[in-house]
Amino acid sequence: MSTSMHLSKLRKWFLASPPVEFAISNLRELLIGALKQGPIPQHVAFVMDGNRRFARTHGIETVEGHNLGFEALAKILEVCYKSGVKVVTIYAFSIENFKRSKFEVDALMDMAKVKLSQMAQHGDLLDRYGARVRVLGRLDMLKPDVLAAVNRAAELTSRNGDRVLNICFPYTSRDEITTAIRDTVAEYSTPVKRAHSSSVPRAPFSQSHIALNIQAQSLHAKVQDPTSDIESVSVASTAEDEGATSNQEPDELYESESSFSSSTTLHHLGHQDGQATGVKGPQFISPEAITRQTLTDHMFTKDNPPLDLLIRTSGVERLSDFMLWQTHEDTEIVFLDVLWPEFDLWHFLPVLLGWQRRISKMKKNPEAEGNFDGDVLDSYNDNADGYMPSEAAKPKAI
Amino acid sequence: MVSQRDRDLLREDMRARGGKLNATERESLLKPYLPSPSPAAPRRKKNTVRKTPIRTFLKSQLYQFTYTFTHIIFGICARLIQAYHAVVDRILAIVYYHHRTPELIRKDVRGLNRLPEHLSVVLFLRKEDDALAVLMDEVAELAAWTTCCGISTLSVYEKTGILKSCLPTLQQAITAKLSSYYGSPSQQPALRLFAPHHPLHDDLQTRQGQTAERSNPNSLTLLLLSSTDGRETLVDLTKTLTEMSQNGKLASEDITIELVDAEISEITTQPSSDLKPATSPLVKPEPDLLLVFGPYLRLDGYPPWHIRLTEMFCTGDKSHGMTGFGEAVEYQGFLRGLWHFAGAQMRFGR
Repeated sequence: MSTSMHLSKLRKWFLASPPVEFAISNLRELLIGALKQGPIPQHVAFVMDGNRRFARTHGIETVEGHNLGFEALAKILEVCYKSGVKVVTIYAFSIENFKRSKFEVDALMDMAKVKLSQMAQHGDLLDRYGARVRVLGRLDMLKPDVLAAVNRAAELTSRNGDRVLNICFPYTSRDEITTAIRDTVAEYSTPVKRAHSSSVPRAPFSQSHIALNIQAQSLHAKVQDPTSDIESVSVASTAEDEGATSNQEPDELYESESSFSSSTTLHHLGHQDGQATGVKGPQFISPEAITRQTLTDHMFTKDNPPLDLLIRTSGVERLSDFMLWQTHEDTEIVFLDVLWPEFDLWHFLPVLLGWQRRISKMKKNPEAEGNFDGDVLDSYNDNADGYMPSEAAKPKAI
Repeated sequence: MVSQRDRDLLREDMRARGGKLNATERESLLKPYLPSPSPAAPRRKKNTVRKTPIRTFLKSQLYQFTYTFTHIIFGICARLIQAYHAVVDRILAIVYYHHRTPELIRKDVRGLNRLPEHLSVVLFLRKEDDALAVLMDEVAELAAWTTCCGISTLSVYEKTGILKSCLPTLQQAITAKLSSYYGSPSQQPALRLFAPHHPLHDDLQTRQGQTAERSNPNSLTLLLLSSTDGRETLVDLTKTLTEMSQNGKLASEDITIELVDAEISEITTQPSSDLKPATSPLVKPEPDLLLVFGPYLRLDGYPPWHIRLTEMFCTGDKSHGMTGFGEAVEYQGFLRGLWHFAGAQMRFGR
């Protein structure tokens, strides 16, 4: 016992000595710089599990364990952002965690508040180096003072660069999915405005003018099918509109098309009120226009690239209600048998290397590894190239 | 990397709830660790690049070299580990062979302190011509092992959903497999086979007349899932809810986790039957253990709603990717998953 204590003290002293510290930090820089040479996941999620167990096994207080966990988070964020990860999502607090002891919950809330408000004090530094901080989850369950700190931090960092830190803070995935469904239902249940004032700038062609043209044409020569002409024009204009913002997923295209076509019929109805066959009451977008993409767009992570990698520490091999919707398609899930406060570059490196190896293998021969590889590769390339423009285009669209 | 001294300072500050240092002190503490402000200040960046072109070049070369080097080393390690696992796997395959004897399989899981109530398996359709036959055989084997272990529910996920389209054939295949394990039909466990939106295939009902008494009290419920039961189902639910809401039958505030859970669970737990609405669900909707027969853990579109507390186990990469994504479904892999779930280690020797 005493020898191991002495050894650990010696080890600590050795690691803390200036030359060793310098060497290690340079080695880290080198490794991170090397990682950057290969493909890098765009979106990584962490479940920070094991703080309490770490505290228990090391004989320190639970709160102290959480503090150490925060330090580990800072280290790993440094690794992620330096190596080129765009979005990091962390699971900080589950809605279920409110069931823990009041003392611990209060301490965690306190820590969040202190950290967030400290961050807010360094406004200009954050502007230069920081990532955008967003807090995902049921913000209404937070105490007002914590909520104020959250909002302030989010607002301060909202102008920052392309790096994003998502903090899931009171969050469960089922709640997220349910919220997405509810929001979608609410959105589709608000009646469409008859006047269509918003769509006027989107439709550069006046329908009455086209109708006049067709009439004029049909006077001169027989036109085969005037209605189809109108439709193709309208669809083409939608494609133009949507193409700038969307990643051109087939679903989305379909959705935009169908929603548009339904809105064009509405337009018709609006114009020919008297002739309409008997549609009364408020008009809605057809529910058939809802696709997977619609729901994805209502999730908390809507503007982020798809999740590439999910890492859970402490050897527990379940998702615990985290990112269920986002993970269940192409994400690689990794369970590590290490407690979160101990988690560092040295544990993260093999995971990243394995991921890089897999991706580069896939690029070399997409045929050999199974039928799914093609589309994974495509989506990966898509978000590597397509993510930036689409994000840049969004503010413009607003 | 933060040096030990600064870390201690920061920790003390944290303990005092951020009261010890003020903002400027913290900033000065932080300064040495900040990267050069290249992205925000392009003017300065240009200067530095122009100043040290050789150093930048050397640096990038060094990074490139380190990248290649680490990947070579990592690749060798990965191959060695893979080979090790393959050897262990072969040894286990010899030691733990089931010999198509239910008693032997039962003995293998007897020492475990917990078994999943609902086991779920992710399978992959291969690319060869006889892919469907291979897949069916795998499902049949899994069904046999599961019943032998005494697990009452097995759900099989296969992305394309090809199994759903040939339920009767699959049922025949499973019955044939079970008879090779158990012998005559009267000793076989009862088999119930269904998929969401498909009628129940219950051999209890179909063969009631022929077999008077079943000596085997066990039963197996086999649920077939495909990618359409995943996100698509949630989309369908949203559509229905939207329609109801548009017709004024439902307020969007009424949509709660409980409602969604009830609706989604019903689809996967109750077969569609015209006769009567089933009163009690056939299966526990949330699987306890998810086995992925593949080189790494990837859900591949598995229904997201129910896996929140599911333990996951991946059999790992052994085959060098020669046979497509899916690994061969083998008994020792299945057993390893069960042992892992129980928190036990597998030993070389029964």
